[in-house]
Amino acid sequence: MSHGYDPRPPGTTEPVPGMLGRFGRAMDRLNKALLVPCMLALLAAAGILSYSVFARYFFKIATDWQDEAAVFLLVGATFISGAYVQSQRGHIGIEALAGVLSPTVNRWRLIVVDIASGAFCLFFSWKSWTLFHEAWREGQTTTSSWSPPLWIPYSIMALGMTLVGLQLLLHVLGRIAALREAR
Amino acid sequence: MSVLGIGLLYGAATLLLMMSGMSIAFALGGVAVIFMYFFMPASSLDTVTQNVYEEMASITLLSIPLFILKGAAIGKSAAGRDLYLALHAWMHRIPGGLGIANVFACGLFAAMAGSSPATCSAIGSAGIPEMRSRGYSGGFAAGIIAAGGTLGILLPPSITMILFAVAAEQSLGRLFLAGIGPGVLLVVLFSLYATWRYRVEYRAAEASHAAGGEKSAYLGQHVYTLREKVEMLPRVLPFVILLIGVMVALYGGYATPSETAGLGAVLALVLIATVYGLWRPSQLSPILVSTLRESTMLMFIIGMSLLYSYVMSYLHISQSAAEWIVGLALSKWLLLTVILLMVLVLGFFLPPVSIILMTAPIILPPLKAAGFDLIWFGVVMTIVMEMGLIHPPVGLNIFVIKNIAPDIPLRDVVWGVMPFVGLMLSAIVLCCFFPAIATAFPDAVMGVSTK
Repeated sequence: MSHGYDPRPPGTTEPVPGMLGRFGRAMDRLNKALLVPCMLALLAAAGILSYSVFARYFFKIATDWQDEAAVFLLVGATFISGAYVQSQRGHIGIEALAGVLSPTVNRWRLIVVDIASGAFCLFFSWKSWTLFHEAWREGQTTTSSWSPPLWIPYSIMALGMTLVGLQLLLHVLGRIAALREAR
Repeated sequence: MSVLGIGLLYGAATLLLMMSGMSIAFALGGVAVIFMYFFMPASSLDTVTQNVYEEMASITLLSIPLFILKGAAIGKSAAGRDLYLALHAWMHRIPGGLGIANVFACGLFAAMAGSSPATCSAIGSAGIPEMRSRGYSGGFAAGIIAAGGTLGILLPPSITMILFAVAAEQSLGRLFLAGIGPGVLLVVLFSLYATWRYRVEYRAAEASHAAGGEKSAYLGQHVYTLREKVEMLPRVLPFVILLIGVMVALYGGYATPSETAGLGAVLALVLIATVYGLWRPSQLSPILVSTLRESTMLMFIIGMSLLYSYVMSYLHISQSAAEWIVGLALSKWLLLTVILLMVLVLGFFLPPVSIILMTAPIILPPLKAAGFDLIWFGVVMTIVMEMGLIHPPVGLNIFVIKNIAPDIPLRDVVWGVMPFVGLMLSAIVLCCFFPAIATAFPDAVMGVSTK
């Protein structure tokens, strides 16, 4: 964990030619653009929760929607920035084996790991889209008195996991291209 | 297949996927989904995402990104350096005062930022060069900062404790307070050690100077005037006020823990804007991006860990394992020792968040049955996980130190932190003999617990 501490600045990779390069750059731009709403969501959630303290104590207003609104914003910020974090290899794993295995085995290991992670994310996003579809069709809401529609967080979760899946697909393609070049 | 068979398979699959180098979040989620497919009704796979969402959509858990935002805001400003300089000016006359100032600065900063690595880098980047220029050995300086930084997960608001409170269904406010006593105990132990080690190194420097060797920087003195000391205060006070203000809001009953997180983040941003002039979008966006990196990574692990423990409990693995441990009829303290050793070993590889969520359903029922207070155990478990933060092979804080002081050999850093691992161990033993170190403060503030 590295709360607010970045061990190294994000590395700049050499531009990759062809389709793969275009896909990569598009993904990069999309991830960076999506960071803006995520940052705003963080600030908004902090603002809403602070407001709720003041509303209750100074204006004696009932606070019924603030917690839920903050939950939606923070869930949104988490899932939408997931692909960016993946692009920075920010979802940490245990790299204990990396030092033991030979470079060739490591290369294949990383491809298999990325395929498995990508498969998991795409499965997860598929199930999230069906969840979204159901919530949308049946007009599901949360059980609180404010009762906002549930398709909002579900769609965000589905979109976020789809993007993480695509980012992992990009990693796999990049690794395979590198493997071909090495031959 | 028997529960034992499934349980062993579950453990083996987790180990395999984790060791493959897959991200912790995806490895946990993957294991859960595979076992859902093979051992649970087909419909459970359809609701897997709903399950994750419902577990995650808790405002207590989602206060984590906001606590991280507060920490990042303070961590990226010059507050750490100012805090450290002020403490140093006031303490430099005490033998080993510089080392003690670093320990105190780590403790105070940890309480504001709530994070170990952020504390290490904020205090260490000013403190380590200063200590070394005054003659402290590299390992000693690195040890003080690495160990001081671990206070971040013990002193409130600690993210680790938020997760423990959720997993153990305990009061977060009480748990936060319970961390303060042991936190102060560690600060005292670290300070005593710093004084002793300072004297040893000082005498060695004196002896080598007397023998005609080079005059060590230890022997030079710098004296601060009262005016200099007083001038240091205004830059530190706002942050101390933030620290106290947030605590008052929480324990005065004005705000829930999650509202405290939001309030703390807003106040921290306002403070760095007014004190350090950090308010432009270009200055704020690095703070927000590093918050997102950190919190998204954590929330993914948390969400998937929750799914992982849901599957484990649906398949009766956690219950059976817990019953098995209870059935062993170990004596109370042997049980505690075994569990803490397991947490310690896991801590060598896994971040505290996943340790808590993965092990809580297994280890908490036996501990409860043996009559341990779970708030007290949460504190002791946190100290054990602090040891994992400074212990090789993963020891995150060691790597943070390597980053801010690359010229101290890793060997020196590792040997420099080892005495602190011993001090933490003695703090745990003290907490076992005198549980009141942890429980007295929450009992005094919130009334004696009925649990």
